[in-house]
Amino acid sequence: MRGSSERALLQTMMLIRGFEEELQRRRDHGFQLLSSGEEAVAVGLCAALIGDDQLLCSGRSIGPALARGLDPGEVMAELLGKAAGPCRGKGGRGHMAAPALGFFGAHAVVAGNLTIAAGAALAMQQQKRPGLVACIFGDGACGSGALHETLNMAAIWQLPLLLVCDNNQYSVSTPAIQVLAPRRLASLASPFGIPFQTVDGMDVLAVRQAAREVTTAIRSGKGPAFLECISYRFSTHSTATRETRPILELEEWKTRCPILRLTSHLTEDGSLSDDARKQLAADVAKTIDGAIAFADAALWPEPREALTDVV
Amino acid sequence: MLYKFAILEPVEDVHDVRVLEWHGAVLRAFAPGDLMVELETHKAVIEVRAGQHGILREILCRNGEWQKLGEPLGILSDAADELLSASPDGLAAWEAIFEIT
Amino acid sequence: MSSEAPSIRLFFREAIARALAEEMQLDPNVIVLGQDVGPFGGSYKEFAGLYEQFGPERVRDTPVSESGIIGLGVGAAAAGLRPLVSITYMDFLMLGFDPLINYGAKLRYKTGGQLRAPLIVKTTAGAKGQGVAHSQCIESWLMSVPGLKVVAPSTPSDAYGLIKSAFREEGPVVYIDHKRLFPTAGDVHIHETAVPIGEAIIRRTGHDITLVSHSYMIRVALEAAQLMAKDNISCEVIDLRSLAPLDIECLGASVARTAALATLEEGQITCGVGAEIIARLQETLGPLKAIRIGALAAPVSSNPVLEAACLPNAARVCSAIRLLLQSG
Repeated sequence: MRGSSERALLQTMMLIRGFEEELQRRRDHGFQLLSSGEEAVAVGLCAALIGDDQLLCSGRSIGPALARGLDPGEVMAELLGKAAGPCRGKGGRGHMAAPALGFFGAHAVVAGNLTIAAGAALAMQQQKRPGLVACIFGDGACGSGALHETLNMAAIWQLPLLLVCDNNQYSVSTPAIQVLAPRRLASLASPFGIPFQTVDGMDVLAVRQAAREVTTAIRSGKGPAFLECISYRFSTHSTATRETRPILELEEWKTRCPILRLTSHLTEDGSLSDDARKQLAADVAKTIDGAIAFADAALWPEPREALTDVV
Repeated sequence: MLYKFAILEPVEDVHDVRVLEWHGAVLRAFAPGDLMVELETHKAVIEVRAGQHGILREILCRNGEWQKLGEPLGILSDAADELLSASPDGLAAWEAIFEIT
Repeated sequence: MSSEAPSIRLFFREAIARALAEEMQLDPNVIVLGQDVGPFGGSYKEFAGLYEQFGPERVRDTPVSESGIIGLGVGAAAAGLRPLVSITYMDFLMLGFDPLINYGAKLRYKTGGQLRAPLIVKTTAGAKGQGVAHSQCIESWLMSVPGLKVVAPSTPSDAYGLIKSAFREEGPVVYIDHKRLFPTAGDVHIHETAVPIGEAIIRRTGHDITLVSHSYMIRVALEAAQLMAKDNISCEVIDLRSLAPLDIECLGASVARTAALATLEEGQITCGVGAEIIARLQETLGPLKAIRIGALAAPVSSNPVLEAACLPNAARVCSAIRLLLQSG
């Protein structure tokens, strides 16, 4: 189900969650960074993006890729290293990309995609194209000089760039408050004169609302913006990292699950019946089954592909 | 007396110059301080001014042409009717002031 | 390259400016970014006239953000522009290694060919009295990066030709000038693609030894060859022009004739350009009579005595070659 309607938002978040759950069950899941718990950030953002826009993200790419509309089968293929993935299996999760679909791509170096995103925005501006560039990055990237340089260049040249900080409050094991001086990361944009706001990243409707506001402003030529979304990941940093966060804290944040919240909201206002919800879940399960079947049937790349597209 | 006009003092890093513009044609009289020619180097323009009185008799390196630093750019003389010699070798050095802009 | 191509004598900086002006005229997607490239015309005036001709949107002065502007350049290239990013000192290229190498050089590969980054990074290497952090020649560090091309002219004509060829590439190219080349002048052949990337050139033919070098050191090599000729040692001097890819065929053909090889670089010989050349040639030609000549294993101070002691000169090249040829 495409589109930015509430039901579409719910379905996409459920797709991301279910997709990652199935992925984790496999023995061959590989090294993955999961978006579970943070779905609302990418989904709410993508609800405000159009075909002409380009989305970049960090190594936590599954949520953004599915939210941007990549085919789940192809995403699964890429994650498993099959040639049917959009990057022919050569990028994997850390570098997934589908620029024809407006997904300029993931980059696995923390903060590594920020200046790249600014460059893509410069190209949009220089060629007078209608799109904008959005880049999702984590709180971890806020310690990088690359963010400072990006904010500065975006400001002096008024680039059509939306910086989306998916602040899940931890950088692997390290709480953001211990290693980042600004309490509110969005305020990093302030010295550069770039408009900023902070929203609840566990509330997809709040994210969508904020994303619509900022993208409208950017499209009308008002220059770059910084949107901070406070979120929380429900899994460990990666499939190879152990959990060190306090259990009570994790439990508390799980009660703010974006999927549960939107489901309650839609149930309460009558727009989602129990049958409709079950149908959504069934559709999502079917999509995921299809994705897995597609990826499992897909071929590995030939070893000689190690030397193609190098230069 | 005939004079050989060239930049004789070394200029750091400058080996080749290109004549940007002569400020005067053959038979123009120069007085001390008059701008004679502008020379382009890889970095800057050298303004060459006359350091003595004299008359331009021959331009050896025209606008847009190249010359090595130290090699003659032109011939001058005290009087307009002095006979020119076959080559610039052996001529006295023309007094010039140059400024790198 | 056609010998019919018209030629015009230009300063090194003018050859660069001319190539850029032509490319910017041909393709509106070509932009130039860097410190002092706009009205100032570049530290060496190598961008003179471009700002006046093409305006501030296409010739942009940037803040001091080497990592930022290289990343910006790579992203812009991936998104459809053809940027040239100027990094005034090669020493500061290090600041941009992440976007250049982790993203730019790997973009085509990591996206399975969906994206390419046709970016040119133009930078100036070499020692000229400016101190330990403003003197380095680190081109050998870049040669082993899959996905990156590296070129270095030694003449105004090759500066012109290599820049134009770089704009025909689909991926990132690092184009390296040298501080000591800017005072030089030379005949520039005005031609579309006079200097293919990956092609070396024989600057002086000879039969006793092959002397391979690049950039400013070619002038030192030629000076040394001239000196050795007086002692009847005939040096064949080859100008690499392209460091990645290397023209191993040209080098191999020469060494097959001379049976002796000296490599000369201003950078370090450890893991240097010469080390790679000798290793690669030995793989095809067998054990070689070879020697590497380069800077001393020390930072290059601005101190004139120490700088001179560190850098190769014609006398050191001659000694090294004589020693090599005398040995068994």
